Amino acid sequence: MKFHLKSLLYLSVTLLPSLAFAQDSLEKALQMPTEKKNVQATFKATKLINIQTNETIYKNELDFRVDHRFGDIAGSAGGTKNFFGLDQSTDIRIGFEYGISDRLSVGLSRAKGAGVVTQLYEGNLKYRLLEQTADDKVPVAVTLFGSTTLSAAKASTDPTAANAFGEFQDRLTYVVQAVIARKFNSNFSMLIMPSYVHRNFTVFGDQNDMLALSVGGRIKITKRMAFVADYTIPFRDKNKEAYLESTLGTQYYKTLGAGLEFETGGHIFHLNFTNATAIQESQFITDTNTSWLKGQYRWGFSIARRFSFDKKKAK
Amino acid sequence: MQKLFFTLTALFLCTGIKAQIWVSKSVNSSFFSSTPVEDIDAQSKTGASALNTKTNDIIFKINNTSFQFKKKLMQEHFNENYMESDKFPTSDFKGKIVEQIDFSKPGTYPVTVKGNLQIHGVTKEYTTKGSLVITGDEAKATSTFNVKLADHDIKIPTIVFKQIAETIQVKMTAIYQPKK
Repeated sequence: MKFHLKSLLYLSVTLLPSLAFAQDSLEKALQMPTEKKNVQATFKATKLINIQTNETIYKNELDFRVDHRFGDIAGSAGGTKNFFGLDQSTDIRIGFEYGISDRLSVGLSRAKGAGVVTQLYEGNLKYRLLEQTADDKVPVAVTLFGSTTLSAAKASTDPTAANAFGEFQDRLTYVVQAVIARKFNSNFSMLIMPSYVHRNFTVFGDQNDMLALSVGGRIKITKRMAFVADYTIPFRDKNKEAYLESTLGTQYYKTLGAGLEFETGGHIFHLNFTNATAIQESQFITDTNTSWLKGQYRWGFSIARRFSFDKKKAK
Repeated sequence: MQKLFFTLTALFLCTGIKAQIWVSKSVNSSFFSSTPVEDIDAQSKTGASALNTKTNDIIFKINNTSFQFKKKLMQEHFNENYMESDKFPTSDFKGKIVEQIDFSKPGTYPVTVKGNLQIHGVTKEYTTKGSLVITGDEAKATSTFNVKLADHDIKIPTIVFKQIAETIQVKMTAIYQPKK
């Protein structure tokens, strides 16, 4: 009896799977390749609202991007008299980026520039140093961004002004950033980014070097629409900040941007609100003098279109 | 007696199953979408397939991210927006070859395959024609069929409606060898 039970058990163990087997055993026979995958599309665009993302464009692609910031919606400068900011534009930027490789892109842009330092020409490089992998062996993506901005504005005769350029070098501002990003799941990505800004020339009494830290994120609402936001904290010298406030009455604020991102396959649209008047990191980190709490926030939008020039055959 | 019985059944089961399974490690699959505005094609060379020569069962499995496009942005959109490869990493087919094929006899056989195709998490029954060329120790299977995107709940937004066809042509080629 004992023997029978055992063999019955044995038979059922060996035979049952092979009887119910057909598809199952075939499935086991399948030899799927093990792919090493990098996480794609942590963000959809190369920028969030004010700050860069870790994304770069692919090789031989051209990204054409227009950014616009209107005037203050509310506060003393806003309201009906400037049609909630729509009568003004604090900054406009038109930029091109080209993919040298899937990791490296170069950019050229022209921006109006906010404040007195205007007529900006920017050259930038963006390099994807590290990519997040699907197996989480590399949990974050790291992208480096560097830019040089030249102001072509007429030099002011007021020696204390931010645009009292004496020499050519005075017109230059440099930015170095490291974007550390993680896609937590297909709906949620975040980034943290330290920045270093060096201005060769500033308003009298301000600091030339500044460090800043930004955080940003993206939450998908639908397949093609997402909520995006970013926040940047500049680290200012307290004494210099107090001096500028007492002499010029200038106050400096952290920047907060929030908005919606629409993706339509090739085009990315952003519709956003931000207190920063300037678009480029060469200005908004160091020179945001407008505050959300004073109604000094504005509409902004951006349109980005990617063109592909890659005609290589699919591998 | 007991041991012998076990060994025999085990042996029988192993040899019986192994000899009748043929596998393909590098299934070549491509698809083609054509509209007056844009032609899109992509190819995957790393799909897997297995068939049972006795029961006529056949299965295919392909990693969606293995499809290569000419334009990489398209590839990103394919995975992100259409296939949602994070949620549905593979496409697969489970079915049967309708005709009885003698895999030991070389020759070219027209075949009909019937079964369920899963794309984008939605399964639909398909019956498609193909051909099977058996040469000694190898069998080459080819098939071309059409997939309607709407059948698999793959939505094309109106703004790119003109770029992406509603029906996609799929081509499959697999070379099988008996599993040792």
